[in-house]
Amino acid sequence: MTFSISDSGLNALVDEVIASGTTVIAPALVKLSAGERREYQKIGSAQKMALTGAIVSNSLKPFIMPPSVPLFRYTRAKAAVSLEPATGKAQAAVVIGAQACDIAALEIVDRVMDWDYHDEVWFERRKATTVISLACTQADASCFCTAVGSGPDHPRGSDIQLLRKKGGYLARALTESGKAFCSKYGSHFEKAGDDADRDPLIKETREKVETNLKIDLGAIRSFLTRNFEHELWNDFGLRCHGCGACAFACPTCHCFDIVDEPEGITHGVRRRNWDTCQTAKFTVHASGHNPRKDQNSRIRQRVMHKFQIYPERFGDVLCTGCGRCVRVCAGGMNLLEILKVLDKSAEAKS
Amino acid sequence: MRELKNLAKRLLEEGTVKVVIGYEEGPVGVRPVFVTRPADAEKLVFNSRCVQNLAAYLSRRRGHIARLGKSAIVVKGCDARAVAGLIRESQLKREDVVVIGMRCGGVALRPSDEGPLTPETVADRCSGCESREPKLADHLLGELPPAPPKATRMFELMAQIERMPVAERFRFWAEQFERCMRCNACREVCPMCFCERCIQDKSQPQWIETSPHARGNLSWHFTHAMHLAGRCSSCDECQRACPAGLPLGLLNRKMAEIVRNRFEYQVSDDSTVPSPIGAFKQQDPQEFIK
Amino acid sequence: MSIYQPHLMRVDGIIDETPDTRTLRLVFKDPALAEKFDFKTGQFGEYSVFGAGECTFCIASPPTRKGYIECSFKKCGKATSGLRDLEVGDEMGFRGPYGNSFPVEQMEGGDIVFIAGGIGLAPVRSVIWNVLDRREKYQNVTIIYGARTTGDLVYKRELEEWSRRADVKLWQTVDPGGETCDWKGQVGFVPAIVEKAAPSAKNAHAVICGPPIMIKFTLPVLSKLGFSDDRVFTTLENRMKCGLGKCGRCNIGEVYVCKDGPVFTAAQLKNLPPEY
Repeated sequence: MTFSISDSGLNALVDEVIASGTTVIAPALVKLSAGERREYQKIGSAQKMALTGAIVSNSLKPFIMPPSVPLFRYTRAKAAVSLEPATGKAQAAVVIGAQACDIAALEIVDRVMDWDYHDEVWFERRKATTVISLACTQADASCFCTAVGSGPDHPRGSDIQLLRKKGGYLARALTESGKAFCSKYGSHFEKAGDDADRDPLIKETREKVETNLKIDLGAIRSFLTRNFEHELWNDFGLRCHGCGACAFACPTCHCFDIVDEPEGITHGVRRRNWDTCQTAKFTVHASGHNPRKDQNSRIRQRVMHKFQIYPERFGDVLCTGCGRCVRVCAGGMNLLEILKVLDKSAEAKS
Repeated sequence: MRELKNLAKRLLEEGTVKVVIGYEEGPVGVRPVFVTRPADAEKLVFNSRCVQNLAAYLSRRRGHIARLGKSAIVVKGCDARAVAGLIRESQLKREDVVVIGMRCGGVALRPSDEGPLTPETVADRCSGCESREPKLADHLLGELPPAPPKATRMFELMAQIERMPVAERFRFWAEQFERCMRCNACREVCPMCFCERCIQDKSQPQWIETSPHARGNLSWHFTHAMHLAGRCSSCDECQRACPAGLPLGLLNRKMAEIVRNRFEYQVSDDSTVPSPIGAFKQQDPQEFIK
Repeated sequence: MSIYQPHLMRVDGIIDETPDTRTLRLVFKDPALAEKFDFKTGQFGEYSVFGAGECTFCIASPPTRKGYIECSFKKCGKATSGLRDLEVGDEMGFRGPYGNSFPVEQMEGGDIVFIAGGIGLAPVRSVIWNVLDRREKYQNVTIIYGARTTGDLVYKRELEEWSRRADVKLWQTVDPGGETCDWKGQVGFVPAIVEKAAPSAKNAHAVICGPPIMIKFTLPVLSKLGFSDDRVFTTLENRMKCGLGKCGRCNIGEVYVCKDGPVFTAAQLKNLPPEY
């Protein structure tokens, strides 16, 4: 089902959603001493939205999987312990103007969180969130979504996809919840044809991203399966500082830690916090033995998890080509470059 | 630049060092490079986009770099302060590193910032820099370029924060720290964060909560700043590395100012001058000991 | 209830195995759950001390003994220190059982050789009692157990019991220098004692757990004795947080120890990258 919505219609829609008490998350401009950037934020009015501009600097991950989330609270009274859920129900939320790479990531992480054990902590927020994506009309040198099965205009994971057109947007309702949203707020939408004058920038953006990186994911995966030990790994890790900036900026990295925080002698809270395989602490045993001794092996783990471990188990790759790991890296690590080297090595071997 | 490439090539060919830690043109801006083959010395560059402080790679924590063998390192004057810090604090023996000092005309905020330096693009630490010619160097290369333009951003912000009443100042930092996700980039890029086990990673007792919430973030950043007082080389790598954009350099500047005023000490690239935390003097201010 | 919320259990008994290892007997607080709870030998759980955190161990008691579970641990970090501070009657938490198990049914009708070192006897003990409680289903049972010193031997009363049983052949050993003057067992490292004991590989399975170095040197001995790699089982312990295949911590290559393990055959082990 395709509709069209004008610029002013979208603003009115957003304000109406906010007024109804639903949380709206959208890219907005943030002024920092480090400069101005676009970030997904909870917005209080449609005026705050910044739907175009540089690639959004954070991902949607913090809104579904907060950096720290309480799992439950405990109270001890002498020998006895009682536990109670720490948080209430997740609030209904609408994400507007999300990039394709960010929403695809949600669906990719869904599979991990629904594998055998259903992770309520993830799905309670996930299910309460309606996702309205916006096809990208900008890309930079670190974007490579088209190389990992997505694209600036890929609808994967969207309930509704917006595509820029003159004076407004095309709105494609893609899921039941998307259709329900469009009918609930029907006064802002008009019926439209699927292809009516899309902004040519969408196609240009796709073409630009395509030139950034072209790889054979299948070949890389089988190369990785056969080359856990390879001299390549000795080079990749050198400039890596071993911080978690890449993993924390990544929309698909989902590894976490579980910690207890006493808030007094008798009570406290157990939390789930973001964590990263890039630190030594991540795998160190109580005995002091560490199966991943150095940064080279930790970089290998990150690449392996994304392009071999996850694919073997769930299909696809644990990467949406958003390029944030490249943008945030203080050491100048570049995943596009690593993938190019792997692709070339895979080709040479076959 | 030829001078640098030739020197690196020679050091590797002679076997004086096994690796030259320097800068190369990466896919997106200048970045660190580890040259182990003489032929690869051609990759080395030095320009105003050589923003990174490479001294962090000399830290003992970098086992995978130490394994390569004895290193030479390309430093700017500011970076030399960090190398001196590592020597001063017995993390590195002077004879275990060949220091290639570069005369410097200032660097940009980001390694990808092209074009001549302007007050908008120049790094904060370059304003009024007095160490454009490193003294701690085995080789000193290049002609001294003209002084960089002055950036006033950080000083203005610092003055603005100092004018704030305490409550407002606390609110400012609380809002900043709220953005912190505890990725630890600020710690990992810091050349002076060489502790084998950071206080943040200690759990018995748990001095600092690891959770990215107000309490944990505040205690981490305050502790980090305190641990760097009189030690920080003011490279601002923590600030550059922060994916959340926290102005961490401000905290370290303030601490440096306090140390300068109270202990008449300024971090330099002379590793023989002990830091206030590493030395005791009769005349040290101690009125806080009650 | 969230998959991260533990069941409450009560400490029902404490046995100090050595100066630094301890066994806790735990019973479910909720009688209905105690009734319903079941597990397979070799599965693990996450044990919680509220305020200190969780730690991962295999269940050390056999599923053939109902009404309680036991865990044995060495005081090492924050969570195990917390466990150590518990007293009889105190409540703590348990999540599990998780992971796969030792295929004790598959082993029926043949011989079983148990090989363990130090605290590595804990997961093996679950299998041993499982087998001994259904003794008629198996042929020869051999247990080879070693520790650094006599003081480091765990489950001393059970070792005593096994040594008296006619239907169990027990070899105990301590590292050279670890013996006391009244020590009647063997002196030597576990691989050497396995070679000396030379259990028959015919229609036999081996279950082995202990320090990585012990496993590394014992596997070739078993091969030499004729044990094929797919009849030798071990259990791995990588650092874990969730135990549920989510937290991404226990990967060894594409294997999740918490889901595909913790029990692996020597054949599987040989195909894994050396990250354990």
